[in-house]
Amino acid sequence: MAENETNSAKDAEIWFRVAPGSGVPIYRQIFDQVKLGLATDRWQVGDFMPSVREVSAALEINPMTVSKAYSLLEKSGYVEFVRGLGMRIPVAPRVEPGHASPEDAVAPLLREVVNQAQQMSLERERVIDRFNEIWKGYSHE
Amino acid sequence: MNNIIRAQGVVKAYGKKKVLNGVNLDIGPGSVIGLLGRNGAGKTTLLKSVLGLLQIDGGSLVTLGENAWQLSAGAKARIGYVPQGYRPYPWLLAGQLIEHTASFYPRWNSALVARLCTEWELDLAARVGTLSEGEAQKLAIVLALGHEPDLMVFDEPVASLDPASRRDFLKTILAIVAERTCTVFFSTHITSDLERVADTVAVLKAGVIDFCGGLDDLKDMVKRLRVRSRGALPQDMGGASILSRHIQGNEGVFTVRGFSPSLQPLLEKAVGGTVEVEDLNLEEIFLEMTR
Repeated sequence: MAENETNSAKDAEIWFRVAPGSGVPIYRQIFDQVKLGLATDRWQVGDFMPSVREVSAALEINPMTVSKAYSLLEKSGYVEFVRGLGMRIPVAPRVEPGHASPEDAVAPLLREVVNQAQQMSLERERVIDRFNEIWKGYSHE
Repeated sequence: MNNIIRAQGVVKAYGKKKVLNGVNLDIGPGSVIGLLGRNGAGKTTLLKSVLGLLQIDGGSLVTLGENAWQLSAGAKARIGYVPQGYRPYPWLLAGQLIEHTASFYPRWNSALVARLCTEWELDLAARVGTLSEGEAQKLAIVLALGHEPDLMVFDEPVASLDPASRRDFLKTILAIVAERTCTVFFSTHITSDLERVADTVAVLKAGVIDFCGGLDDLKDMVKRLRVRSRGALPQDMGGASILSRHIQGNEGVFTVRGFSPSLQPLLEKAVGGTVEVEDLNLEEIFLEMTR
């Protein structure tokens, strides 16, 4: 079991995380996660995506939502459909340079922080100092 | 022809009060539709009319290709319904009620029913009258699924279920729709559940369907815009209609319906400031649309 697992399908519960209550449509959450996964090498060439049914069952979401995300990914060239096997990350996935950088994932959170800070009329430098402090607290050194 | 439910100008009045006042709805096979509406909006009335349990006063209502008020036995056999507070025959044991119900249907999936009863820990030896609200609701759901209906109608199916049972119910519904083509039409107040299972949302407001379409389309269409302007704030939002506005000085928060991505740069140019677009979840959208 251990040897030949490099190209087996990813476990849906581990590889996707959706927040149904967030304003972002669930299909777009899945789409973005694959896109980001490609940019960060979390997803690699030859990896198979879990099936629509697996994702639907694991995340408890409508299978049509998963299909929608998958067909959008296929249309955009991020994955390819392999007959009888499912969706696979192709040899040359189309990753637009400049678009899906890993930092994009935290941009919405940072925007929130900036928004809040501006509303409270905080000084930029002080906020950045605080950010660095917290960052250090989480580092392993 | 292919529609599972088709309502055109449906009117239903209780005395002088028109609860439904021109409902139009088209539901195709294979969708999971959540019906949203405030208390008293007419959700139960609409569901019962679809099932032929209430006679409408105007318009036309076709269910499974037949006039809803005159459904044939064949059409009824293809429908599963869980009403609110269903608790018939309190003297029967739960197991007996299941057997009794099964005897009406030529097609009954005993294996499915047995599996659900185990998974949902239903005590088949308990009298129906002694079951708790939640247990009775689980039993009603099992009874409505046993004959593998093509159309499932649930009126507040999770209202008295605890969070774990609610999840079990959603899982079951998802497994069923993943397996075969069937249609689920349900009313609910719990928007987070709806966000998981539904692909289509219908909003009932003031006697009409105010929105019916993809859940994702609804989320793309209703947005909150935070506008910071150098000068005056905009009076209108291009093609989008304003659901609510809060203004303080030269900063305004507008919730709009009919948003499109091109609106943001357009507005920024118009006000000479910044426009932030916030996504809203279904609960927020529902509150904004029905205020």
